[in-house]
Amino acid sequence: MTLLDLLALAPVLVLVLGASTLLMVGAWYHEPRPLVAGGVAVALIAAVIAGVAPPAPTEIAGLFSSAPFARYFAVLWSLLAALILMLSLRYATERDFAAGEYVSLILFSAAGMALLSGATSLVGLFLSLESFTLALYILVSFHRNNHQGAEAGLKYLVLGAVATGFMAFGIALIYAASGTFHLPDALQGLQAGEHLRPWGLLGWGLVLVAVGFKISLVPFHLWTPDVYQGAPAPVTALLATGSKGAVGAALVMVLAGSPGTWQELVPLLWMLALLTMLVGSLCALPQENLKRLLAYSSVVHMGYLLTALLPGSPEGYSAVVFYLTVYTFASLGAFAVITSLSDASGEPQELTAWRGLGYRYPVRGAVLSACLLSLAGMPLTGGFIGKFVLFAAAIKGGFTGLAVVAILASLISFAYYLRVVLVLYGSDESRELHPGNALEHAVLLVCVTAILLLGLYPAPLLELIATLIP
Amino acid sequence: MIVPFAHVLIFAAILFVMGLGCVLARRNLIMILIGVEIMLNAAAVALVGGSAYWRQVDGQVFVVFLMAMTSAEVAISLAMVVYLRRRRGTLEADRFDGLRG
Repeated sequence: MTLLDLLALAPVLVLVLGASTLLMVGAWYHEPRPLVAGGVAVALIAAVIAGVAPPAPTEIAGLFSSAPFARYFAVLWSLLAALILMLSLRYATERDFAAGEYVSLILFSAAGMALLSGATSLVGLFLSLESFTLALYILVSFHRNNHQGAEAGLKYLVLGAVATGFMAFGIALIYAASGTFHLPDALQGLQAGEHLRPWGLLGWGLVLVAVGFKISLVPFHLWTPDVYQGAPAPVTALLATGSKGAVGAALVMVLAGSPGTWQELVPLLWMLALLTMLVGSLCALPQENLKRLLAYSSVVHMGYLLTALLPGSPEGYSAVVFYLTVYTFASLGAFAVITSLSDASGEPQELTAWRGLGYRYPVRGAVLSACLLSLAGMPLTGGFIGKFVLFAAAIKGGFTGLAVVAILASLISFAYYLRVVLVLYGSDESRELHPGNALEHAVLLVCVTAILLLGLYPAPLLELIATLIP
Repeated sequence: MIVPFAHVLIFAAILFVMGLGCVLARRNLIMILIGVEIMLNAAAVALVGGSAYWRQVDGQVFVVFLMAMTSAEVAISLAMVVYLRRRRGTLEADRFDGLRG
């Protein structure tokens, strides 16, 4: 590891060292406001460094890439961490969260996500995935006086640990069959070693199962609604956006890095995408709890992503990256509204609590509607452009059947998203909820601006992303 | 290598399936976590075997990483065990069924 390598790692190092410092400070100093401010500052510094510093070597120690693709996601996840910290200040204070630990865990998980989005080796992939999963285990059950939080933490821990087992054994088999951890070579090595090939394919299957758990593809999605419902709302936002997006980015890295070597996996991925979209849509329809509804909606969104990954074309990969960006802001916005309406007595999750809220709290009603319509793919929002490029890439790549299913799933999705919007603007039976504070409104503003900007003027970002694909 | 490579892999696969069986069959949280440990150890066996077969140290280095990661995971899971036991008075996974819908 040379000095240049360390410089190329600078954004992640800033996050990790900042998180460690805040953890130490938090041991003696318990005031939440300065600690959260410190965390936001660290995350923003990391985002700026990742955005402007020229990445000299493109690969660090054969483990992580520092190419523009990885840098893009480092910026995105650092910004996400900053937004989530801003969102958490009041929520965490009202629930007596230990501020030092909370802030540092969010920063640690952002560092893990930034590394995972640029992993070029199976070792790097495994370690970065675990580093943020371990932080999330703690964050999910961070609210110690909450029954639901304990149960959600248990479910996430057990299923996450099993997924880790699958991932580790899958990587071990790939290594046994190909003799290398480095990603393009590990896939190409499978072609060479004839008699070990079945083991290697089994290994990729197991890794796929683990990935399925992490991004909750059907049939590995069962933990998702429970964990989303039980976890604190800002942590759910991180789970829904960062942890899924980083795994999605890692998938793009793996598949784009070794074209033509994963043809055997296509039928399997095709089935997973189909099942994910169908089952996710059908389960989302009857939900009466907004967090569970968003959980199933995230399941469906991961199905859309797989649809565009299948053709293995550059258009498909850039569509996935664009969609992940839009999805991150839309999903974060929806959870930010839930957070800003929560007070010390709890979160308003049931739809009955939201009846008529659009009149009582017009700003947050409008932001929630914009986020949900973007998730559904309404024109003028970023979600529409995202879905358009996704499905266009799938059809161009010859996966017309799957694209038709995806379009049908989006039509169904209008039903469940619009139901929430109708509840918001239905008869006014709203009760008093928390008015929210300035920081939370700033986060909402960022999310809604991003959604509308990407919906009205997506060309610059699409062009930028097209240059990033490895 | 004295032992044929296929035998190492088959042994690791059997270990992995046994660990998975433990996770699926047992309802006590501690037994589930032990099952996960067995699954991770199966991975370690396959990695060390692969390392010997390809005459590289990469696999063994990864096993060291895996051990470090596992101990972090065990630390978190045991903290969770203590917390759940205090909070709910039980470690039976089936009793945690409050979240539905």
